[in-house]
Amino acid sequence: MSELPPKSSIKRWFLTTNHKDIGVLYLITALFFLIFGGLLALLFRIELLSPAADFLGETGYNQAVSAHGLLMVFWFISPFAFGFANYVVPLQIGADDLAFPRLNALSYWFYLFSGLLFGVSFFQGQTFSGGWTMYAPLNTPTYLPGEALGATTVVLALIMFVTAVTLGSVNFLTTMYRMRAEGLRMRDLPLFSISINLTVWMMLFAFAALLAALMILTSDHILGTHYFSYQIDGAGITQGANNPGASLLWAHLFWFFGHPEVYIVFFPALGIMAECFQTFTGRRIVGRKWFIIAMVLVALQSFIVWMHHMFLTGINLQIKTIFMATTIGISLPFDLMVFSLIYTMIKGRIRFTTPFLFSLGALIVFILGGITGVFLGAVVLDYQFRGTYWVVAHFHYVMVGGATALFGGLYYWYPKITGKMYDEFLGKVHFGVFMLGFNLLYFPMFLAWETPRRVFDYGGLSTTIDLSALELGVYVIPYEVWHNMSTIGAAILGASFLIMFYNLFVSYWHGEEVGDNPWAYATSAEWAVSSPPPLENFHDTPSYASGRLEFLDDEEVAARSSGSSGGGLAGHGATATDGGTSTDGGTSTDGGKPGSATAASSGVQSGGGALARAGPETALGTGTPGEHGHDGHADHASLWPFIVGIAGFVLFLGLSGIRTGGTFYTSLTVVGAVGVFGSFVGMAQEPFHAPEPLLAERWPYGGVEKMKLGMWTFLASDIVLFGAFIGSYVFVRVAYGWEEWHHLIPEAHVTMPGLINTYLLLTSSFAVVLAMVAAEKESRKGVLLSLGATFALGVGFLINKAMEWDHLFNLHGSEAFPHGWDLTTNLASSTFYLTTGLHGAHVAIGLIMVAYMFLRAWNGAYMGDEKPIEYFGLYWHLVDIVWLFLFPLFYIL
Amino acid sequence: MSHTKLYAAIYVVLFAFATIQAVVEYAGFLEQSYWLAFWAIIVLSVIKAVIVAAYYQHLRWEPRAVSYLVVGGVVAAVALTAAASFSIT
Repeated sequence: MSELPPKSSIKRWFLTTNHKDIGVLYLITALFFLIFGGLLALLFRIELLSPAADFLGETGYNQAVSAHGLLMVFWFISPFAFGFANYVVPLQIGADDLAFPRLNALSYWFYLFSGLLFGVSFFQGQTFSGGWTMYAPLNTPTYLPGEALGATTVVLALIMFVTAVTLGSVNFLTTMYRMRAEGLRMRDLPLFSISINLTVWMMLFAFAALLAALMILTSDHILGTHYFSYQIDGAGITQGANNPGASLLWAHLFWFFGHPEVYIVFFPALGIMAECFQTFTGRRIVGRKWFIIAMVLVALQSFIVWMHHMFLTGINLQIKTIFMATTIGISLPFDLMVFSLIYTMIKGRIRFTTPFLFSLGALIVFILGGITGVFLGAVVLDYQFRGTYWVVAHFHYVMVGGATALFGGLYYWYPKITGKMYDEFLGKVHFGVFMLGFNLLYFPMFLAWETPRRVFDYGGLSTTIDLSALELGVYVIPYEVWHNMSTIGAAILGASFLIMFYNLFVSYWHGEEVGDNPWAYATSAEWAVSSPPPLENFHDTPSYASGRLEFLDDEEVAARSSGSSGGGLAGHGATATDGGTSTDGGTSTDGGKPGSATAASSGVQSGGGALARAGPETALGTGTPGEHGHDGHADHASLWPFIVGIAGFVLFLGLSGIRTGGTFYTSLTVVGAVGVFGSFVGMAQEPFHAPEPLLAERWPYGGVEKMKLGMWTFLASDIVLFGAFIGSYVFVRVAYGWEEWHHLIPEAHVTMPGLINTYLLLTSSFAVVLAMVAAEKESRKGVLLSLGATFALGVGFLINKAMEWDHLFNLHGSEAFPHGWDLTTNLASSTFYLTTGLHGAHVAIGLIMVAYMFLRAWNGAYMGDEKPIEYFGLYWHLVDIVWLFLFPLFYIL
Repeated sequence: MSHTKLYAAIYVVLFAFATIQAVVEYAGFLEQSYWLAFWAIIVLSVIKAVIVAAYYQHLRWEPRAVSYLVVGGVVAAVALTAAASFSIT
């Protein structure tokens, strides 16, 4: 742990783990990627001035279009929203910081370095050129120009980005369910925080599917597996013979992520619109409860509409019909939200400030984007519109519509973040120029809708405008006119940001000082503290127990804590993983959990304590309050997240070229791997204290301590990751023919190695629970023996697997597989090695953790504190559960 | 039953179920009736997974919300697999 330098010091920005600093870093970095992606867009808009590749060239155009899409969707819009989420959500919920501050910093550094990795791809021959949706087989090296090293780098950059997203999702969910101010129910959260809560739920599951797709694609790139490629037979593709599901598999995995991604992008914008509409109409949003219910419905429905992106593929008509219905269905809750926003304006008194104007503009363009999207949700219309500029226009009206609200958010919270007011006149000028450029850029695309998407050649197409009924004649307008208008619009839209940057930069130095709350009707908690807020947000402990925001000093917190303690509340005794004493507990369990000392001593509902006004899930601790209503000093600085990030960058850069076998890339891989391992060990060794508040609202996870909730949340994501891998196997096997599949597997691939590994893993799981029981009984010998057994059994599992693989690789005597059965032999071998390999990697990571815990136990840790063993056990048992399905699927059936 | 005995009994059940799954194959049931044997083996795996989650991972004693979290992940994975596979039938 290091001391946090002042903001004026560059060093601070490498060390900080404070959520507000991280939020600012996200905002600035996302704006950098906005410029990066925006310049690429300007380049290909210049290309589209004429229907020929006479400026960037053919491959240059493909690269610019692909990179623009990927950078804007992944590296700009969502991270920009999460800049606000980082800064604002802890303030709105009354928390000092996120639950895992170092993990938050690590998310940021992974995000930044993943973007830099993307940048490097331009210098490896070519960057990825297969479109932002990365459709198979155009995403595989066979169909990419040159060595495709740049494309591999982009895939790896996306993996690094998704890792950042997953860490962020776990962190936000844990924070929002463990650190809300006393009395603050989920339904009472400010609408921006609710929108972020639902967004991270979607991210947790959707990005796990994308991660699976990207890992499989990486395997196709680096290891030569065959998931997304067809069999090449000379110059032709033997489609249907070898891997009939190749393209569809990618489409399913990508769009299972991709459609929730639309709402992942749009929900934070919706939250900002709701906040701004309330603040600048001076009225609570109309139908608030229904607005929230509608958001929840959309979040759920977002996972059952993905196949409307696949209406033009070979999926069957029944499924198309079902997904058409679900797609039309998802527009209904959106209608409700739109009407709610409109009616709020009607009922309130509008103040046309810059944030409001951007929010209103976002609503208007989103309505247009939403309506044009309904066309695409209908199968018969989609047959016509798919792959045209209609989709491009609709997509940008929705996505950039969301970005419009985010720019409103930037103006809205700028005074809070900087303590200065922006120039209102320049803000309004920015809005006017922005809307002019936006509509001039995107609306002509509806008129030039027959232009094929991602293709620079649109020559010969024209729009006929028949005004003969008005005796005004018939006009035939070539598509060049519309595209030239779009290019001019792009230039204007880009120029509008110069106004914004100038305004924000000058205002930072010369703007008018603002107090706590520059907006008359803003009511959420971030406006109740100074601008910018202090390091730990609140001088006293926020509480909503009385029904309104109050601040409790440490004596009041202590009094409530001790009072509740006298009432027999649980919550004492559990040890926080970051050190110190946690304040979890407080929720009864039915009878107590075997092997858990904490649960055995609890079993009392917190609602029965002295704090009668708090809800039944309000958890209370018995620690002695230090500062800010939690126990002990909180840390805010660590260099390790940055070091892990840079080591990850080196590792992924090395992996991008590892298939070349060159010294450069191999060395980078080795150095990066050692760096990642070493820096994680360093991070684990660093004392870092991130206390939880003593008083907090924790429904519905009142009895689940912070680290355990974080672990469970991560495991839920891991379930989807493994599920997507297993689902991919099932899908390609169904496509190939379930029972015909057996012809792809050698006779030597028998059940026994799998059965032995099942016994080994089951026994290791048993050993872990014995270690937990031994720790509870304070038996050092028992803990060491059990952890040692777990380690030995895990190693045995990997050795057995290695022997089995070695045997299958070298089946030289086999008639059917004369060259052995390796990763590249056929689809069955690819799925077997990759899926069980992913599982083996989980086992290996688990073994590193067991070894670390064994050393700690050797030094006397865990006596009477079985919690860390339990947390590890959650992971290890999931690895066991996954194997319980891999064993029958890959060894018996 | 003490905690250790409970965990040991569960271990024995899991061990036995894994053995039964292998026996189904060794006894030739897959050749006789593939899909009946298929579903028997899958159901055994599901039972084993539920037992491990409920007792070794303690979901049995956690607030229901934790189980819902896990079920959410499982439902997402199963929905993806089932709908995608059905789409090409």
